[in-house]
Amino acid sequence: MSLTNVKLIYLRELRDQLRDRRTLFTIFILPLMLYPLLGMSVFQVQQFLKENHSKVRIIGTAALPAEPKLIEGHKFALSVASEAESKLLVLELIERSEKSAAQARLDAESDIRAGTCDAVVYFPPDFAERLAEFRRADEERAPDRVPRPEIFQSTASDKSKVAADRVDRIIRHWREIVVEDNLRHSNLPAATARPFELVSTDVAEEVSRRAAFWSKILPFVLMVWALTGAFYPAIDLCAGEKERGTLETLLSSPAARSEIVWGKLLTVMTFSMATSLLNLLSMTATGTFIIVQIQKMGAHGVPLEIGPPPLLALVWLILALVPIAALFSALSLAVAAFARSSKEGQYYLMPLLMISLPLMMLPMLPNTQLDLGFSLIPLSGLMLLLRSAIEGQYWEVLKFSVPVIGMTAACCLLAIRWAIDQFNNESVLFRESERLDLGLWLRHLVRDREDLPTAGEAVFCGVLLLVIKFFAGFVAPPPNDWNTFVVTTAVFQLALIATPVLLMTIMLTRRPAKTLLLGRPSFLTTLPAAALLALLLHPAMLWLSQLIQNLYPVHPQVLSQLKELETLARAAPLWQVLLLMALAPAICEELAFRGFILSGLRRMGHKWGAIALTSLFFGLAHGILQQSLSAFVVGMVIGYIAVKTGSLWPGVLYHLVHNSLGISLGRISAEAIGGNDLLRLIFVPAKDGEVMYGVPATIVAALLAAGILWWLKSLPYHHTAEERLQEALDHQSDPLVANAAV
Amino acid sequence: MIHVRDLTKSYADLRRGQFVALAGISFDALAGQIYGLLGPNGAGKTSALRILSTVLRPTSGSATVNGCDVLTQPARVRHQIGFVSTNTAVYDRMTAWEMVGYFGRLYGLAEDLLRERMETIFARLQMNEIRDLLGSKMSTGMKQKVSIARALVHDPPVLIFDEATAGLDVLVARALLKTVADLRDQGKCILFSTHIMREAERLCDKLAILHRGHILAEGTLPELRARHGEEDLEELFFGLISHHDGEKERQRDGETKLPASPSLPLSVAPSGS
Repeated sequence: MSLTNVKLIYLRELRDQLRDRRTLFTIFILPLMLYPLLGMSVFQVQQFLKENHSKVRIIGTAALPAEPKLIEGHKFALSVASEAESKLLVLELIERSEKSAAQARLDAESDIRAGTCDAVVYFPPDFAERLAEFRRADEERAPDRVPRPEIFQSTASDKSKVAADRVDRIIRHWREIVVEDNLRHSNLPAATARPFELVSTDVAEEVSRRAAFWSKILPFVLMVWALTGAFYPAIDLCAGEKERGTLETLLSSPAARSEIVWGKLLTVMTFSMATSLLNLLSMTATGTFIIVQIQKMGAHGVPLEIGPPPLLALVWLILALVPIAALFSALSLAVAAFARSSKEGQYYLMPLLMISLPLMMLPMLPNTQLDLGFSLIPLSGLMLLLRSAIEGQYWEVLKFSVPVIGMTAACCLLAIRWAIDQFNNESVLFRESERLDLGLWLRHLVRDREDLPTAGEAVFCGVLLLVIKFFAGFVAPPPNDWNTFVVTTAVFQLALIATPVLLMTIMLTRRPAKTLLLGRPSFLTTLPAAALLALLLHPAMLWLSQLIQNLYPVHPQVLSQLKELETLARAAPLWQVLLLMALAPAICEELAFRGFILSGLRRMGHKWGAIALTSLFFGLAHGILQQSLSAFVVGMVIGYIAVKTGSLWPGVLYHLVHNSLGISLGRISAEAIGGNDLLRLIFVPAKDGEVMYGVPATIVAALLAAGILWWLKSLPYHHTAEERLQEALDHQSDPLVANAAV
Repeated sequence: MIHVRDLTKSYADLRRGQFVALAGISFDALAGQIYGLLGPNGAGKTSALRILSTVLRPTSGSATVNGCDVLTQPARVRHQIGFVSTNTAVYDRMTAWEMVGYFGRLYGLAEDLLRERMETIFARLQMNEIRDLLGSKMSTGMKQKVSIARALVHDPPVLIFDEATAGLDVLVARALLKTVADLRDQGKCILFSTHIMREAERLCDKLAILHRGHILAEGTLPELRARHGEEDLEELFFGLISHHDGEKERQRDGETKLPASPSLPLSVAPSGS
């Protein structure tokens, strides 16, 4: 790759964007104006809200006690409501009503809906009487029921909720006065009802307090704007260039596709960072200004103890902006390269947001803290790391920066690789608009089917299986007994996994046997090798599963459900369990994942990419996150076996042995290993009377497994036509080749 | 300079299934020669030229440009060619001078040499008036001049023009054709695609008539006239295309192959150059 070309493309694109008035407005002008305008609007809206009166109807004022007073004239008494509070309430007083509480409720419902009033307070006719009775009562003569005035409100109306809140506050205050009055009548001190005052003192330093406040807001703002700032320039630089016809010219120039992508990526990154930074600065400045103003108002009763964000927080945000912008820029570029036009490109923003937003929101959930588990979640980990840095928890930052940065870098590289692939894919670069015709498209799928499924069909199959799994989870009856469990699992494996895959294979491909890799493996020795590999890797996989469960503990409710299933399986005959939970998944899931999906995904030309994506589908199909992660790793191993042997059967054997071992292990008790020397060498007792592989046995088995994998690696590998093409393309972007050309 | 052998290109198409844009074409274009690819819209001209400029990859077959293979040495090929496409696309927010300079730098030209070449090209193509004009303000003719200047800036031995006169007025088109002829006289190998008979007649030293991905006839204009007994190129072109379509239709209908039209003694084999 020529850095000179990357720099040339970067500078050209940068200049091009800077000459675009719309871009300049969005990147520079909008953030500077948006927040002050928003701040102004907040003040305006607040002003508007403050001056909004609430109309409250009070029914049964005649039933109120003479002392202490709730109502004075047409207002709440000064002793229960301040003048400012009373000013916001317009009272409609009804002295007496013959209506019951139920009738009053019906009236309130229709009146609030009609807007005649916002809330209704109903005092029963005997309210004062009962209150007096209550006052006279002692422990022996407790009255039958406490007087119960009612507030009718509609939670469907914000106005009604505000009115009810206002009046509720006042009546509660009045109740306290009534209590004090009762105590006085009983010759008890007022402190009887309130024996102590709870004082809460914030010991945090002001800077920490500010940091804690801003650390929850600023990282989110940073990410949202980094994504928005990346997306629009990416559309202009890819889809826009396609529309203008200049992309073809650039593609015929000496710049390699990777150089074009890097040049454009740096431009998009620059704009993503600039947008995010300017928004951040503008928001912080405006926010600080608003806070200062509110603090000034605090002298009149609006206390607020939050100041501007600490300067160091901004430094951390700027540092974190580089990887965030890189990730979003690469993703946006790949997505934009796929679009035929700027308009089409804009439609892709929503899916990108839908994927990114939950990851950005996750750290905002209460009690979410930076740990190894969260640090491995893209975006969420970075956001939590940033939050810890802003809050000054540097030890946490140091502890988790490696996994967070590692995961972010891996995601960045994958996204960049995807973008380069898009630029190498002529069917993406020269896609033409076609009218959407479902019939035509379905005819095309069957008529023009190829030997193997396309990558798109493979992804569709993966998504379809996940959707089926999702809905089946709701429809399936709870496995209360073994027979129900047998039927549910068999139906799931045969009807919901194998059948759709077989149907898709027959309808969408010309060579079903080749698609599902039903031929014999290139070397028959790979069959026993795969079984042995499963046996040797099982201890390491089990430890990995343990590690994952320590990192991401399973929810107790899910754990108890799993335990129930385990108990059911333990009580059933072993052969039935093996047939159902080892053989059936080994065949059905392998047909789906290493058969149809892997065959289709390999047509992208990246062996490892296809294996990883297949394993991702395989992992997700396992439902529970902790299982998904370990299934992903198992999927990687089986996927590798499948591409190396060119056959499904070694993978089926691996899957069968892996699942069988898991089932069998559940039946070995800690007592059983006590009397057997061989078992004691392999297993150690674990919690709840279960057994676990011993560490030395795990290490030895893993080393032997590595030997088998090495042997598999040495076997000849049959590249697909797409892989050969991709290798040729990679070879073309080789710096030596590029240099030789100059 | 350009050697194409059994080149095929097919695309997946929703309506037509696998659409064959090039069905195994072969031809050779030499230095100091304008080789014309003459064909109606959809004949496969653009696909062929995009493959030769390494923008597309062939489905099968081979092609070399100045000794470099388009599939295995695309970076080298791109240094040997200047490509002027049909859509006269220029960057809207760059001036003519900036645009030509940008591509010159991408070709790795040193600043002094680049400046010298740009001055020469701008003077030759009479572009000094539009030197500082932004792409968005340019007329179609101006844009096409910029495209040619961009294609010439690194002085490539091979130039590829894909329907370069489409949408140009008579004056600009005439000037462009003169420029192409001058470049041929300088010893460049020029591949020129068009569907305008008059242009092909006036300009091309050798012609290939392309239709539905097949080369129906190839040779110099006198050779074609002599071989097919037709003086008028347009009539010759129309006759070849009608005959080819008729043959296809008969094959589809399952009829036995009829002898070729007596007025068109057909030979689609390249005449050998």
